[in-house]
Parts: sequence; C-alpha cells; structure tokens
Amino acid sequence: MAVLEVAGLDAGYGDLQIIDDVDLTVDDGEYVTIVGPNGAGKSTVMKSVFGLTVHMGGSIEFAGEEISGYRPEQIITTGIGYVPQNDNVFPSLSVLENLEMGAYILDDVPQDRLERIFDRFPILEERRSQAAGDLSGGQRQMLAMGRALMLDPDLLLLDEPSAGLAPDLVGEMFDRIDQINADGTGVLLVEQNAKEALRRCDRGYVLVQGQNRYVASGEALLANEQVRQDFLGG
Amino acid sequence: MGVGNTGKGVSEFVDEVRDRLSSPSGQELFALLIVLGIVVLALDLVRRLATGEMAFGRLWRYTWNGLVDSLYIALAAIGLSMTYSILRFANFSHGDLVTTGAFSGWAVAWLIGGWGVYGIGELVLFSPTAAGPTGGELGMNVLASPVAILVGLVAAALLTVAIALAIDRLVYRRMRNASGISLLIASVGVALALRYIIGVFWTVESHSATASAPILEEIPAWLPFERLNLHELTLVVTAVGLIVGLHLLLQYTKLGKAMRAMADNKDLALITGIPTERVIFATWSIGAGLAGVAGYLIVLDRGQFSINIGWFLLLLIFAAVILGGIGSIYGALVGSLVIGLTINVSLVWIPADLNEIAAFTLMILILIVKPDGLLGGVETA
Repeated sequence: MAVLEVAGLDAGYGDLQIIDDVDLTVDDGEYVTIVGPNGAGKSTVMKSVFGLTVHMGGSIEFAGEEISGYRPEQIITTGIGYVPQNDNVFPSLSVLENLEMGAYILDDVPQDRLERIFDRFPILEERRSQAAGDLSGGQRQMLAMGRALMLDPDLLLLDEPSAGLAPDLVGEMFDRIDQINADGTGVLLVEQNAKEALRRCDRGYVLVQGQNRYVASGEALLANEQVRQDFLGG
Repeated sequence: MGVGNTGKGVSEFVDEVRDRLSSPSGQELFALLIVLGIVVLALDLVRRLATGEMAFGRLWRYTWNGLVDSLYIALAAIGLSMTYSILRFANFSHGDLVTTGAFSGWAVAWLIGGWGVYGIGELVLFSPTAAGPTGGELGMNVLASPVAILVGLVAAALLTVAIALAIDRLVYRRMRNASGISLLIASVGVALALRYIIGVFWTVESHSATASAPILEEIPAWLPFERLNLHELTLVVTAVGLIVGLHLLLQYTKLGKAMRAMADNKDLALITGIPTERVIFATWSIGAGLAGVAGYLIVLDRGQFSINIGWFLLLLIFAAVILGGIGSIYGALVGSLVIGLTINVSLVWIPADLNEIAAFTLMILILIVKPDGLLGGVETA
C-alpha cells in the first residue's frame, strides 16, 4: 500500500515552475531514492511534499490524506519527518536541546525515543550537552536525523545527507539510513551520490528537468545502459 | 599562532612569531593600542589612589553608579537584542517603549497613591496645573507607598507589553517578510508616533514623579556602603531578579529553548513545528516588559523625566547591544556592563558632560578590533 502518493505534481518557487507532472509513490516502509542531474528538481520534489514550495497542481496524498496545501507545521503532525540539506541543526542549542526541539509539538519529550536515538547514534549521547555548532559535519547530520526521528515518523525525507561529508563517512551515513529503514521507517532520499543510493534503495526515480524519466528498482536502474551513460557517468 | 602545535619545530615556531610581529594586521595593532590605553589608565588610577589625589570611596561610587546604570541599560538592551535576533530588524522604537513604561507605570502609581484625594486627571497627568500634588506630597517612595510603587512597576510592564503587541499587530505583523531596512524605517516612524502621542497627553515638559528616596544609614559592616539609597537598591534588586529570571527561562523552559532555536534558524524552527508566531508574541512581551520596567525604574532612581527619556537612552542601548554582539542576549548584558561602567568610571579623567563620548569611543575602538561585537558569532538567543 502506498503511504505517499504524489500524482501529476506541478510545483515551484514564486512564479517559476520547476516540477512538471511528477508521479511518485513510497510504500509502507519502503526505501526510495530520487537521483538525477544537478538542477533536475530533486530537492524541490521533496520540499513540495513537505509544503515548502508553491503548489501549482496535482495531488500529494499521505496515508490517505490529501496534504498538498498543508503548512510544514501541519505536515509533521501527519507522520512525515524532513531533514534539510543545509543548516539542519540549531547551532547554539545543545545536542540534547536540538533533539527536544524535534519533539516540540508533543507535550513531553518521549524519553524512550530519546534513548533509542542515543542507542542508534552513541556519539550524540556522548556530546549531549555540547553546542550543536561544535559538532563535525557527519555528527550534525546524525543530529538532524535524530531530531526528525523524535516524532517517530512513518516517512523520513532526507535531502542529500552525504553532501559535504568526507568520503570515508559517506558509507557510514548510508549504513545508518539502512538501519533506520530496517526499523520500519519509510525513507525518501535525494542523493547526489547516485550509484551508492541506487545500490541501497528498494526503488529509484530518475528525475530530469523536473520530470520523471525512469522508475525502476535500484538494481534495474544501475543495470540500465541508458541510465548509466546519461546519469551515472558510465 | 601555532603554540602547542607539537608537530612543528621550535625554529619554525620562532619564525612564525617573528613573521606575525614584523607584519601585524591593523586590527592587531589596534587591539594592542586599546590594551595599552587601558593599562596606562589603570596605572594612572593606581597613582591617583596612592597619592590621595582621588579618594577610594569616590572610585567605588563611580563603579557602583556604573553597575546601576548598566542594569537599566541591560533591561532595555535585552529586549532590543531579542527583537533583533527573532524578527531580524533593529527596532528604533524600543527606546520609546522605555518611555511608555515610565509614563504608564507612574501614572498608575500616582493613581493608587492619591486615589480619592486628588482628581484622576491630576494624578494620571502628574499635576498639569500648579494646584496638583507633587511626588513628595503623595509620598512616592518605596517605604511610604510600597504598594503603589509595586503595582506601578507591574503596570509599567503590562501596559508596555500591551502597547508593543498592539503595534506589532498594527504595523510589524503586516511586514513580517519585509526586509530589515523596511522594518527599521517603519520602527523610526513608530518611535516618533509613540513619543508624540505620549507628548499630546503629558506635554513635552519635564515631570517629577517621586518623593526623595529614603536612605538607609545603618548598613551591615561587611557591605561596602556608608549609606544606601533604597530606590537605587530597588532598581538593582528588580533588575538582577529579572535578568536571572530571563536566563532561567531561556535555558530551562520549552518556550525559552524555542526562542533560542528561532533566533538560530527561523526556517528550521518552522519545519520543526515550533509555533513561530507564538514565539514572536513571547519575544515582544518579554522585550517590551523589560523595557517598560527599565523606564519605570529609571524614573524611580532619577525622579525627573520627560518624553525623551527613552529616546536619549536608545543610543546607549544600541551601543551596548552592538558592543556585545547584536542578536546575543548575553552579549547585550556584557555590552551594558561595559557601557555603564565606562560612562561612570571615565569621570575620573573627564568632566561629566563628556562621559558618553568615552563610552562611544570605546565602542568604536572595540568594534574596529571585533566587528561582530564582544560575543559576536556566538549567538546565544
């Protein structure tokens, strides 16, 4: 059953339309990747799902509820978590406070989820009272994911989590996403690092100039000669 | 410099130090000059104290006055810094919120102090005719009318908050996505409008609201005072209490953390589900409340005031905020301390008419060395 169902989506910023008639589904607990060249509108699709763009047409359904036109603060209550690419932690707040902010809409900070996030990212527990601004790039990404996981979302939107990471940390980042997915959280990932993302995911979308070009399982896309040549550098 | 860099040879380190010393940057030279200047002044101070040219008691009085001044500057500066960090504009009407607090709070205090004896108009407008009572006749000091003074203090905070929220609703909320410059210019308009609306009712003349302050003559021996002005003491205790309270709010409450989060990154706050309009509401409330209390306490300390009280203070408030690092609440506290102490301790060397020059000169010098302010870059809220 599709948890997220995007159909015929048109979206953009201001008067500028970037996304043109895009269809996209993510099933319950599925791991889906969007790849494509720079400027194809990958992040824009994701931001549209989270209500951060101007909706120009089509529908976005999440768990049977039409969410196009919802504001981000409404969308997080439906069970979607979003980790932006840049500036995704509050630098002057401590690690723990950042995680608490993730649960702001709840009355109390759910201690069991906090424990689970600390189990998953032990470095965050070690540095819980340090300012997030003092963390390394990889640790910030973990904190940003942890913050989004505080609401235990059904679907996690990740915008280029490997961007700016040292090469030896990229594999570790993908492992962590695998683990989050293995625990039952659906993942929609936008990645520059297309080969690795396709290797890991269940299904992939190739987006070009704001339109779907290919949809298939990750392996199939990796095996597709045309996709390899045009988008994966041979 | 590579001090403690064990991977580097001693000779390389010496070379590096020599390089740095032979071609210091302009900023480093300036920092050196400031430090030298402060050292010279400190030595001169020691000389004056040693030769008896200046009594130790006088220096202590200047320092104490500096602390008192820095406290009310800080109360106002915190609000200015908060609106800057959350709403991203320099609010030039903040000084007139100080004025609003002074007038509204004392009007309420007079109303309570003279209820039933004098006419309401005479009380609220601070005796516009010669027939009305004076602050002395109403017994406006903390010992004779503690209730009136306390209620006035609370009223100063609440009424200033109400006015600030009304202004936000009328002006700033419609401009939430406007640029900082548009908002700044709008705030200059708000400042003038607010000040002269107050002037329409209370005139532009100077008022005197309080009775002379009660003085405590018997002080415990361990306190470094010969006598204690109780109005000054009220100001200090109230201001310190509010500042500590704000610190606790920011560090330990959900709202305070959300305020700091929003100051850090408004967009991220929005997508995290932090209710940004509610945080803005709290920011105005706290900032305006503290500004109103500052205005009320300044009048309690000085007695005299006019509609320019906040406007004249605004330059010092801005100096404190910029000096500390604009947008940082803890920076505003540090900046206020530096400004308050400078305008008073500088009296050792220069006449009182010129003391604000010392504060602004110091501000300029520090900004040349640290353009982001003393705590700039570590935006704490």
